[in-house]
Amino acid sequence: MRIRKKYLFYVLAILSSLIGAAVTVIDTYISIKYEFNPWSLCLAIFIAGLVITFFLSLILSIPFGGKSIGARIDPSFKRLRMLKKEELKYHLLAGMGNAVATVGYFLIISIYQEPSTILAFFEVVILYLLMMESIAEKNAPTMAEVQASVIVTFGAIMASFSFEGEINLLGLLIVFLVLNPAWVVFSIYQRKLKIMKINGCYNDAINIRFWNLVFTTFFTAILVYFIDKENFFGAIDILKYWHLFFISMGITFFSYVLYIRALGLGKASVTQAVKAFTIIFAIPFTILASNFVPITFYESIPQLILKIMGIILVVMGVISFALTEVRAYIFIKAKTGYPINELLNNVWGVKGITSVAVVAGRYDLIAKARMRTLGKGYERIIRTLEKVKGIEWFEWETILKEWEEV
Amino acid sequence: MKYPSMIKAYILITTYVGNLKAVLDEMRKLKNVESIAVVAGDYDIIIKAKVNSLEELMELTDQIHSIKGVKRTNTQVIEKEIEA
Repeated sequence: MRIRKKYLFYVLAILSSLIGAAVTVIDTYISIKYEFNPWSLCLAIFIAGLVITFFLSLILSIPFGGKSIGARIDPSFKRLRMLKKEELKYHLLAGMGNAVATVGYFLIISIYQEPSTILAFFEVVILYLLMMESIAEKNAPTMAEVQASVIVTFGAIMASFSFEGEINLLGLLIVFLVLNPAWVVFSIYQRKLKIMKINGCYNDAINIRFWNLVFTTFFTAILVYFIDKENFFGAIDILKYWHLFFISMGITFFSYVLYIRALGLGKASVTQAVKAFTIIFAIPFTILASNFVPITFYESIPQLILKIMGIILVVMGVISFALTEVRAYIFIKAKTGYPINELLNNVWGVKGITSVAVVAGRYDLIAKARMRTLGKGYERIIRTLEKVKGIEWFEWETILKEWEEV
Repeated sequence: MKYPSMIKAYILITTYVGNLKAVLDEMRKLKNVESIAVVAGDYDIIIKAKVNSLEELMELTDQIHSIKGVKRTNTQVIEKEIEA
């Protein structure tokens, strides 16, 4: 399918948020109605999740019309397969990240009567991811992406904040030093897995989700055992409610598969920012669930006003992400006799360049650049290229619209 | 197991004035195309092709030439590539 990659990215991330919102409300319903011990619930959810994910992945592996059913969700998916050696390291790290983030989340649930006040600060994870990308990635965030991320983060905090709960140092430490860093590890390594090539094709989101659950369940079991042995065995007891966990984790599976696909198309920070839409989509599901259990989507009028302001910020921030990018091709002619590999590395070192190819034809190199505005393209890229040794001349072609194979 | 190596190339296309939309609609139907970009500059459209052999690349450029409204093409075969 050849479409505008940007559109597919937003469709996947928003759809993932919509499904994620349904799961959030189902989970809230389960915890209010059954009042399980949070640690036992934490482990039982993953055990049941692993079983339902395995069955769903098997069903999606069935061939239908020349390709697997799952290929309709992720075209890279062929069938459930064994883990490849090169994936193992990333899966161990992503699984550990997910397990620690989950334990951090349940730690807050077990300490606080009204956890949503503290948990609102989980949204700061968008800024953690942004920071990581600024340090570690060639494709560093633009100023406009930083602005949009801050708008979405603050909007998401406002929209999920509760006046009923308390904010104290312990809670903030758990969120800022355990939950958020662990989630960063989880997101970044899942993204690395998605953009990794297996047997010459891009890795698929369904196998990534299944294997991530295998490792997450393993690490969560170890952590819960050391935190509280009694509740570790309590998980087996509450597994008699397996049907509830199957519904929750079965739906979660689809939310994560779409999220992982989106991670493969965009940056982890932007994907996480778009995921903040979960807060908006949770409103109709909460209204629906309020017919069965005592939950509301706002506690007081001031909180409702804050929530609406937060939602507006999230929407505005996500829209500005989608509008802030200019891309261009640069055709480069090398000076005769200049080592082409050296020139390749010199051009690759210019900030804003996202790909460089050595070509045979009229030009010697074709580079692709990404910037916030054409003005920045001139300041950052053209002026730098003019100083790069080995360039005879270059031509600039601004991309007006682009379709990519996905 | 050894996987067949792909050949990638940029095909730089110039169109006759007034034909861009129709040419693009036809190009979006082509196989072996990784991306299609409409650009402002010396060219009008840049295609990134991914084929299994030079023969397939020739077939693709042939198909592009046969699209009504295409004035000129310039093919640049990729020898080495670095991507973010």
